[in-house]
This record gives sequence, structure tokens and C-alpha cells, in this order.
Amino acid sequence: MNILGIGMIFSRGLGIACFEKALQDGWRKPGEIEVAHGAGRNYPVYLAGLETVQGKTLLKKIRRSDKLAKMSALAAADALVDGGIGGLRDKRVGVIIATAFGAHVTTFSFLDDILDYGDAAVSPTTFSNSVHNAAASYVSLSLDIQGPTLTVTQFQFSFQAAMQLAQTWLDQGRCDYLLVGAVDQYGDVLRYVADRKLAIAEDGKIKPFAFNPTCYVPGEGAVFFLLSGEDRGKSYCRVDAVHTYDDPLHGKPVDINIIDADGMLPDESAYLPSLSPDIPSAAYSPLFGSMMIGSAFNAAAGALMIKRQTRYASPVQDNPHGICILTETGEARIEAIRCMGIDCSQAKSAIYLTSA
Amino acid sequence: MNDEAILITGMGAISAAGNGIAETLAAFERGARNGGPVSLFRTALTYPVFEVKRFPQEYAREGQRTLDLALIAVDQALKDAGLIDPFGFRVGVCMGTTVASQLNDLAFYRSYREQGTAPLAPADRFLKGNLAAVIAQRLKARGPALTVVNACSSGTDAIGAALSWLRSDLCDIVIAGGADELNHVPYCGFASLGIMNDGLCSPFDRDRKGLNLGEGAGVLVLEQKRAAKKRNAASHLTLLGYGSSSDAYHLTAPHPEGVGLKASLQAALAEAQITPDDICFVNAHGTGTKDNDQVEGKILAEAFGPGLAMLSTKGYTGHTLGAAGGLEAVFTAAGLRAGWIPPSIGFENPDTAIPLSPVREKTAVGGRYAVSTSLAFGGNNAALVIGLEGGA
Repeated sequence: MNILGIGMIFSRGLGIACFEKALQDGWRKPGEIEVAHGAGRNYPVYLAGLETVQGKTLLKKIRRSDKLAKMSALAAADALVDGGIGGLRDKRVGVIIATAFGAHVTTFSFLDDILDYGDAAVSPTTFSNSVHNAAASYVSLSLDIQGPTLTVTQFQFSFQAAMQLAQTWLDQGRCDYLLVGAVDQYGDVLRYVADRKLAIAEDGKIKPFAFNPTCYVPGEGAVFFLLSGEDRGKSYCRVDAVHTYDDPLHGKPVDINIIDADGMLPDESAYLPSLSPDIPSAAYSPLFGSMMIGSAFNAAAGALMIKRQTRYASPVQDNPHGICILTETGEARIEAIRCMGIDCSQAKSAIYLTSA
Repeated sequence: MNDEAILITGMGAISAAGNGIAETLAAFERGARNGGPVSLFRTALTYPVFEVKRFPQEYAREGQRTLDLALIAVDQALKDAGLIDPFGFRVGVCMGTTVASQLNDLAFYRSYREQGTAPLAPADRFLKGNLAAVIAQRLKARGPALTVVNACSSGTDAIGAALSWLRSDLCDIVIAGGADELNHVPYCGFASLGIMNDGLCSPFDRDRKGLNLGEGAGVLVLEQKRAAKKRNAASHLTLLGYGSSSDAYHLTAPHPEGVGLKASLQAALAEAQITPDDICFVNAHGTGTKDNDQVEGKILAEAFGPGLAMLSTKGYTGHTLGAAGGLEAVFTAAGLRAGWIPPSIGFENPDTAIPLSPVREKTAVGGRYAVSTSLAFGGNNAALVIGLEGGA
């Protein structure tokens, strides 16, 4: 399958152009928020801002939705524009959204309702927006997509699992085009949980090549890929293979390895045996923050690199293990990229991108 | 792509109607309705529910009821399939749920909200409780694992995703279905929407007043023919087609013209390479809400004609949300194999707005193909076509 378009929203803006600029500009210190029960302490976080979004037509259409759904709809619409696909009514388009935590912020708002007002006086609007697939529904509703609309969750491998299913749907002709997206939202309660299991990067700098100990900075955002079996001549790249829980192609030669390391596991040293001294590695989590669906952002970076034939330097290059990392941005011949992930049980995933 | 029929070599089910296929079918024959007041949590609301009573204690662990229900059904299905040791096969796991995908533990949240601290055990259970991942680890499965969270069609969509994996040869065998516990949070949520019944539900009835929530798990073992042959397993039951389509209309209400349901039925039948005339019965979503039953009845009548044998099993199980598609796929397959379907319990009076009535009595079915449908929050619709090789 081919990546025809990419849409995204993250802390540095809306659109693949913003992401490309971030890849060129490199790391920037994240914003800070004062969290509930934080005793006035500020925490670094990469938040996506909706207030700066130009053109509010889409947001008006889904004004009752929560931030998770709004980020999803904006990124999905952006992917369609980027892919140059319009007039969806006569096309068989499907949607698969991957999320690790779904509408947890709205779920906790609904729990507030129960605790504050009792079982019989809760808000139906809050409840219906707290359902895991609400974001996908808003995407299909706002973009008038009547194909299959699915939401999946597999923590670290949510995005890879969605891509794997997308490949089968396209191969089997269930859809002509698929919008496969990944979205997660920052929230105080899950930050509380994460802080008790992971180390926050006090300086706001994720060090993806540290591996152990790791540090994280929460992020949020959405990335959508417009996928199709067709190559319209403007594709970013081809997705050659997607593997979850194992990578039978791990010995395959590629030009660049992109790793999902972002401090979301206390020990990420399981990446080390997979990294070759001859293949430069990159990790872009310092640009968008730590998220279990961060692999989607990394895949977007890989797709951009192949399309532009440009290598983007790893934004944070602390390298205590002396591995071969991408240190400079510049033109390069790039035919194949492996995007690698690991989960809490040290299982591996891989997405192979090649020039179309 | 493998376009041959995928075998259903094992089935497991647990719900308020019974633990296991035999117990469930016996409850269907007796017309047993095990609905009643909530006992699993304290609530000010009085809507009846369908809880699993006599929960097998060997599976019961604190705060993991959805996972426990899933494991009960998985173990039944594996035993039914004779799949004791899947070593040597690429086994995938695809499960639908709603409750297990959310950290909606009220005690945990209350503690965090009031004190700024909370015991992490509920969060740990949530983080270690991804249905597909846990089942895959337990089976040492080497195939893909996926948890589908598509509201009320989650189970059906999980089975559909499994079918796609098998057709694309990503694996040899898939454990697929759905599971959900009765939980305080959706109980309040559905009540807030005004679609809960203060009596027992009556799907497709003129006087229907809404749904009852339930809980359970339904699981199929789906298998490529060559894998079944390799381990000397056999089955006449097959999974032939899956269709899924969005209404793109409203977050909680079905499209009045049922565009998504219509499209999903057409897709499922097309994949199965059969026509509506080949279908001998439909196990409908049939929640007992005004909107769902009216739209679904209308579309089923249009698609299959007014003579269709149709039922809803939610009068026996309640609406089990993410489990519903799994359970109803199991019931559909079991009905085909047994040659009969139970009365659509709760139904008494035809609704003139619905051009199709469900069966009122135990009804013999002699065909080779049946359909199970699911309609979900968010406007997603899904349909499965299940077959019986060598049937009439």
C-alpha cells in the first residue's frame, strides 16, 4: 500500500508542513503546565493547540466533540487535502483509528458527573463523547465517510496493528482508500499514573538513545495517513510490510532505522540489539513528546524523508551507547526505512517504508 | 488472498443465559430470562440488568471481570476446537470490548480527585489488561493481536478483522470475539441517554421501552482449512463474509434510512458470494430501543423480505455491548448447527412501523447460511455471514 497523504496536529501546529519544519528546526523546549495536585510545580508537556487552527468550519461541525475527536478530525481532513482526494461520496473510504488511551479525559469528566451529581444526573453528551470510538465517528461524520470505521487499541502497538489491518483491507478490496490515524490526548490523571512509573525529563528533553534509565515528556496529537493500493505518482512512499510482536525481516538492509524510543518504558535497551553500527538510527520523539502512538509520528518522519530524499537529524543526540545515529540534516538517497517499536514485554514491531 | 471458507472450529459463550453453549441453548429452549436488579455495584438507579450469576470462581479476580469473562469463553472455545496446544501454528487474537479499554474505576478516580493520590492497582490492572494481549500471552500466540473498541459492534468487527487476517494469511488460526462486564459507568451513561428499560426488554415489540444492559463473552476459533486439516480438526461451520459501514450521520442515533446497515449487509453477502435468498435466518442486533429496532427491522425486511426468520437474543442476555457481536455470532452458528432458533423473547405485539416481526416460537431453520448484525454508537454497522457446509 502507498501513503498518498499525511495530516497531523501536534505541539508545533497543524499540517505536515509544520512537522517538516520541526524536523528541520530540531528540538525546542516544551511548554509547561501546572498540574492538579502538583503543589504549584510546573511540568513539561507537548500540548497540541486548537486555538491557532485556521479555518474553523470543521471544528464548528463537531463543536460538541472533545479535544481527542477534534484533533482526529483535523488531522484526517488534513491528510485528505494533502493526498489530493476530494468528493468522497463516490469513493470507498474507510477509517481506522489507533489509540492507546482513547477519550480518557472525557471519561474522567463523566466520572466527575457521577461523583458530583449522582448516577441519575449525569450528562448524556459527556457519556457519548467518552466512548472509545467517538473520535472515529466524528471523523466519518465530519468528512462524510461511509466506509468501515474502526477504532483499535493495543497500547504501544496500536498504530502498527491498525496499519497491519489496513494492509489486509486494501489487499482484499474492502476499501479503495483508508484513513489510518493515531491519536492520544494528554490528561492529568494518566500523567499521575505515568509519573509513578516513569521518570519525567525535568529539562524537557527526551533522550531517546539513553535507553536505560529513560525519561519522558508527555505529548499529545494526531497523525493520519491516507493509504491506497494505487500510486498516483505523488505518493510519499510505499508501506512494504508491517509486523507486530515479531520482526521476521529484522536482518533486511535499510538506509535508516527510526526507533520509537521516548521514555514511555523505564528500560528501552531492547532496541540496542536491533541497531546496526552501519545503519544510522534516528528518533524524533523529542519533537512531539512521549506517546504510545508516537510510532505514527515517526512513520510520518520516515515517509517525509523518502519523499524529500532528505535525512533529518535526530533532534536530541545524547548517545551514551555510541550507536550510529543520524546527526545531520541533508540530502541523501533513501530507498528503505525501518520504523521500529518495542512494548513492555520487549516484543518488537516494524513498519517498512520504501520509495514508491 | 485466500477466498475459501474459514472454518469455525470452536465456540465459547458465557452470559446471563448460561455458561457454555449447551447451558445457553437449554436456557433458550426454556425461555429463561435471568434479568434482575444490579448486584455488582451500588447504584441509585433501578433498571434491571442481565448479570452472569454463578461466576466460575477459578476465573474470578478482583477488578478484571471483563478479562475473566473473556478467558472463560476462550477456554471453552479452545476445548471445543480441541486446540490444547497451538504450538506450530500462527495464532492471532482479536477481541472486542468497551469497558476493558477504559480506566473507569470510580474508587481510584475519587481518591485521585480528592487527595491527589490513589492506589495504582486499578491502573496496573488496566495497563496489563488489554484483552487481546493477555489472551495472546496466555496462549503464547505468535500471530497478530488486536483489541477492537468499536462500541456495540466491537465483537462483530473483531471477528471481521480476524477474517481479514486469515484471508491475507497473516495467521493460521484466530481466537476472535468480544467480552464486556456489567459496569457502573456505562450503566449510568445509558441511563442518561434515556434508552434503558425499567422492565425486561422486548426487542421489535410495539411497546418496547429500551434496552437492558448485560455482560458476557462470546468467542470463536477461526481457522484456515489447511491448519484444521493439519491437526485433524473438522467443522461444518464456516465464516464466509463480513461487512462494515458507517452511517456518517449521528453520534448516537442510527441513520433513519439505515444506509450503513444496508451497505454492511451487501458487503458481507458479496464476500460470502451468496444472495439474500440464501439466508435462512438473521440474528439481529435488536436492542429493544425505539430507533434501533425500527431502522434495523426496516432494512432487514427490505434486504431479505417480510418472510425472513429473524430474532434478537438480547431478551436472554441483555445488551452486552462489546461482547454482543461475539455472543451473537456464537448463537448464530449454534442455531445453524442445531437447526433451530429460539423465540425472540420479550416480543409480543407487532409494530406497524416495522415491516418484519421476529419469531415468537422455537423455529426450525434448515438453510445453509445465516447473518448476525450489529449496530453501534457512533453510527457503525457490521454484519457477518456464517455458513453450514453440507446443510440443506
